[in-house]
Amino acid sequence: MSETTFMGVERDKIDWKPTIDYTKCDYCMECVKFCPHKVFEIRESEEIKLIVRNPNNCVVFCRACSKICGPDALSFPDKNSTTQRIKEIRKEMESNG
Amino acid sequence: MVENYAVLPCNGLDKCAGAISRELAIKLCENAKNEIICPVFYRVSEAKYNKIASGHPLLVIDGCQTRCASKLAAEKNLKISRKITITEEAKNNNVELKNNLRLLENENTLIEIIMNGLINAEDRVTPISDEINVLYNFEYETFQNGKFIFRVPKNPEIYFNENDCWAYVIGNRARIGVTDFVQQNLSDILYVTPPDIGAGIDQFGEVGEIESSKSVFEIVSPVSGKVISINETLEQKPELINENPYESGWIAELELTDFESDKELLIGFDKYFEIMKKKVEDFNV
Repeated sequence: MSETTFMGVERDKIDWKPTIDYTKCDYCMECVKFCPHKVFEIRESEEIKLIVRNPNNCVVFCRACSKICGPDALSFPDKNSTTQRIKEIRKEMESNG
Repeated sequence: MVENYAVLPCNGLDKCAGAISRELAIKLCENAKNEIICPVFYRVSEAKYNKIASGHPLLVIDGCQTRCASKLAAEKNLKISRKITITEEAKNNNVELKNNLRLLENENTLIEIIMNGLINAEDRVTPISDEINVLYNFEYETFQNGKFIFRVPKNPEIYFNENDCWAYVIGNRARIGVTDFVQQNLSDILYVTPPDIGAGIDQFGEVGEIESSKSVFEIVSPVSGKVISINETLEQKPELINENPYESGWIAELELTDFESDKELLIGFDKYFEIMKKKVEDFNV
């Protein structure tokens, strides 16, 4: 389902996932319906009814779920820092052969 | 001056942004020759508004990113000519919206700012220059999945990121757009939000949005640079992205600032073609 690498870097080494602001989230679950990568999971019987279940399924640099979030409850890491980190990891990989 | 539009606002009564949408729509009709479409009545009985909707370009006012008014326009097969999203306007103008449903000073200030912008706005319908068309000489590789055909241009000057966007690099400029994977996924594209001309864009930064009734796609720029032109034809004909996202459906042109560094995180035809095929298989597009 999810890509295992992004630009040659193992996906789990890249910090890119949505963070839910529970003070804003109204559990409309539009993000769950929207995301085809099953990043989110509904927990109907829990107090916190929505979690980020599969962060590594999230497509690096995609922020589409935050665009459709009515209450603006989803945020992502800084793109520049992530880009820099990916470049660093690639360099480390090159120097390690 | 924004005039002669059919105005379809959000009328959300549970959010401040909805109340602002409604008020802005009323003002647009009081102060200029625009006509309102009530979203509530339109949903249950469209006959009343068919003439207005078919006889005018459509201005949609969404309160928030739930995009109820845009979705209603898509449901009714209306083409959106212009769009305003209140929460975005509030952010851009540093106006903080709270939970009040009555319009207070902040909200009225925002309405005034948006109104002034619209009154002073030129009604932009600018024909695209044919200049760049002569540059096209793309050769495509295609594959098919069910009824869907996916093309990828093979020219070595075209670079891709893994976010399904391309950059056609010529000298210190690049034209950018999305691939067939994006347009097939979105299906009928209804609206394009281009980047601002003059805006500085980082590699992997947002360089506009594409919207269909199904979804919204943030265009992730393959390159860093300054926006020097946009494809203004898309304002009237967003469907060009469905027809050919690599040629007539291009999004913007950037003056490159650090292409040598950007190139490190870009791929060419061979790699992208394989990645796209895998995505199509995984998602059964």
